[in-house]
Amino acid sequence: MKLAYYPGCSLKGTSFEYEVSLLKILEALNIEIQEIPDWNCCGASAAHSLNHNLSVALPARNLAIAENNGFEEVLAPCAACSSRLKTAKYEMGLDDILKKKITDSLEMPYSNSLNISNMLEFLINVAGKEKIKSLVKKPLSGLKVASYYGCLLVRPPKVMKFDDPDRPVSMDELVALTGAVPVDYSYKTECCGAINSLSKPDVVMALTGKILYDIKEHGADLVVVACPLCHSNLDVRQREIERKYAERIGLPVLFITELLGLAFGFSPEELAIGGHMVNADKVLKKIS
Amino acid sequence: MKTVINEQERRNFAREVESKLHDKLAKCYQCGKCSAGCPVNFEMDFTPNQIIKMTELGMTDRVLNSKTIWLCVSCNTCSTRCPKGFEVAGIMDVLREIAVNRGIESKTEKEVQTFHEVFLDNVKSNGRIFELELVGKYKLKTKHLFRDMFLAPKMIEKGKLKMHSDKVSDINQIAKIFKDFE
Repeated sequence: MKLAYYPGCSLKGTSFEYEVSLLKILEALNIEIQEIPDWNCCGASAAHSLNHNLSVALPARNLAIAENNGFEEVLAPCAACSSRLKTAKYEMGLDDILKKKITDSLEMPYSNSLNISNMLEFLINVAGKEKIKSLVKKPLSGLKVASYYGCLLVRPPKVMKFDDPDRPVSMDELVALTGAVPVDYSYKTECCGAINSLSKPDVVMALTGKILYDIKEHGADLVVVACPLCHSNLDVRQREIERKYAERIGLPVLFITELLGLAFGFSPEELAIGGHMVNADKVLKKIS
Repeated sequence: MKTVINEQERRNFAREVESKLHDKLAKCYQCGKCSAGCPVNFEMDFTPNQIIKMTELGMTDRVLNSKTIWLCVSCNTCSTRCPKGFEVAGIMDVLREIAVNRGIESKTEKEVQTFHEVFLDNVKSNGRIFELELVGKYKLKTKHLFRDMFLAPKMIEKGKLKMHSDKVSDINQIAKIFKDFE
C-alpha cells in the first residue's frame, strides 16, 4: 500500500522536531511514506472560523492530489491537520453539491475514498502495537509519562472515529509499550487554548497552566503529545506560565514519536529533542 | 438593544443559521451541559446554550456581536457531550461566518478575528503558512509589537523560526480556490 504523508505547516517550521522524530521511527519500523506533492495548508482554525466552504476546499486539494497519485492512506501527524482533512472528507460525504463545486474548481477527479489517520491511529492501526513492541531496545523503565490528547485527536467522535472521546487510552498504550509508566490525571482531553495562543495569551495560559499543574501534581516526569499546537502551548509557553502563577513546573514536553524513538534506541540528538524550549536533559538522565 | 424582534426577522435568522448548520435549533432543550464543560466559559458574555436560544429567538445583534462566538476555540467538547447531538461548536462557526459576511467587526475580540484573517491571507499568498510573516503581520495589525517578543530569540536559537517561506508551486490553483470560495 502506498502511504501518503501530509506534513502540514507546523512540522516544517516551529514543530520540526515532530517531523525529525517521525521519520526516524518510521525508518526503524520499515514503513515508507511519500510527501503529497505540492501540498497546501489545510486552512486550520482560521478557515473554518471564517468560511465553511474554504475550510473544506483547502484540505480537499491535498486529498485530491493524493488520490490522483494512487495513494489510499494518508498520515497527517498534526492533530489539527488530520482533523481538517477528516472533516473535509466527512463534509463532502454529506454534501454532494459542495463536493461537486470543489472538484469543479480543482479540475481533478475525486472519489473521496482515502483513509486519513492521525499519528496515534497510524501507529496503532498501520504500524501495529506488536511491531512497535518488538523494536523497543531500550525500555524507558521508571519514567512516569503523562499522555495529553487535547481535542482534535478524538473529537468530534462522529468525524474522528478513533478512541474514546472522553477517556482515550491509545497514547497511554503506546507509552506502556516503551516500558514507561503511564500517569493518570484529570485533564487529558481538556483544551489548551489552541489557535488563540497569540490572540488570547492570557486565556491560553490559564487553560494550559491548569493542565500542566495537574500533570505535575500527579507525579509525571514528562508529557507526551501528538499535536504541534498542544506542544507549542505546553512547551513554548511553560516558562511564562511559571512566572504568571509563581510556581515551577519544569515538565519537558515530548512528541509521542520522540518517546518511541528513545525506546527504539535513538539518541535525543537524533530525535531533535534539544529543539524544545523546556530542557529534557535532567529527566532523560533517569533512563540513560 | 431590543430583545423582542419581529417574527419575520426571527424566522429568517433562524432559517439562515439552520440551513448553514444542517441542524435544528429546536433540538436544544437547554440542559446546559455544553456550557458546563466549555473550557472558555469563564471569559464568555453568553454561555453556549444561551447563544443557541438567543439565535432561536432572533436576537441577531446580540448574538453576532457577542464575545462568545470569537472566544470559542472549537474544541468540540460541547458537541461531543450534547445529549441531543446538536452541533454546538458548529453553530459558533456559522455565526462567525454570518457576522463576517455582514461586515460586523468584533468590538471586544477583534484580535481573534484579525488573527484568523491574517492567517488566511498568508495561506492565500503562499499556499502554506510562513510563520514569521504571519506573526509579523498580525503584530503590525494589532499593534502588539512587543507582546511575546521575548520568546523570539530562544525560538530562533532552537531553529523553530524559519527565515524563508516555502511556497506552493501551483499558487494559481490556490488563488483559484480562494476566488471560487471566498
